[in-house]
Amino acid sequence: MSSIEGERIRKLVVACDAGMGSSVMLAGQLRRELRKLPVTVEHHPVAAIPPDADVVLCQAGLAERARAGAPGSVVVGFRMFLGDPAVARVVAAVKQGGVVVGTTGN
Amino acid sequence: MMPRCRPVLEPRGVRVREHAADRVAAVHRCADVLEELGAVHPAYREAMLDREWAMSTYVGEGVAIPHGLDRSRALVRRDSLAVLRFPDGVEWDGATVTVCVAIAARGDGHVALLSALARILLDPLRAKGLREATDPAEIVGMLNAEDEP
Repeated sequence: MSSIEGERIRKLVVACDAGMGSSVMLAGQLRRELRKLPVTVEHHPVAAIPPDADVVLCQAGLAERARAGAPGSVVVGFRMFLGDPAVARVVAAVKQGGVVVGTTGN
Repeated sequence: MMPRCRPVLEPRGVRVREHAADRVAAVHRCADVLEELGAVHPAYREAMLDREWAMSTYVGEGVAIPHGLDRSRALVRRDSLAVLRFPDGVEWDGATVTVCVAIAARGDGHVALLSALARILLDPLRAKGLREATDPAEIVGMLNAEDEP
């Protein structure tokens, strides 16, 4: 999928290679930011993304693997764990509405 | 006797005066400490180096979080963190790292501590406090701080 309306997002997945480090940190942060909203935030290895993930956030270098493993999800790549504008756009779309567009390429 | 539940991060897992010539040496020191704690099988070291090489574990504010790969989970004996402070800094793929939070996890025992770390790093003053802290008990306290409501 290439895009989704923010208000339709129910499950956000943060994916990294191991699902034990960076994705855990970012997922914790997002869970906190979105805790008053009906959105589930989970962290998973990029090879095991659940099929009902609406949006997948992962490091830009893993985006291709994420797209292959989660064809039904909008995949958004990011470069920084703290304050990445791509992550901020997803949070804003969930909170205030708007379209989340998946990233293409790396 | 009740089995004793070891905390994920203990003061003896915190080393405040480490030195490393480069990123590889720093990851080796992280693996050394996780091994000393009995948290990982010796082969976990290779997975940490592979992961670091594939993609930097730098997360910002002078902090990196070296850890293994999905396939190395079985090499983890219990969810544990170690904190290594490199006062002189270590060159890290273009950044300078002062604090490594080394992760060994097979479950989710470390999730709360990593969330606390994220909150600290989002606040530049608290991030500076973490980089400059020299008392292991204080560092353990910072990372175990409860989430405010």
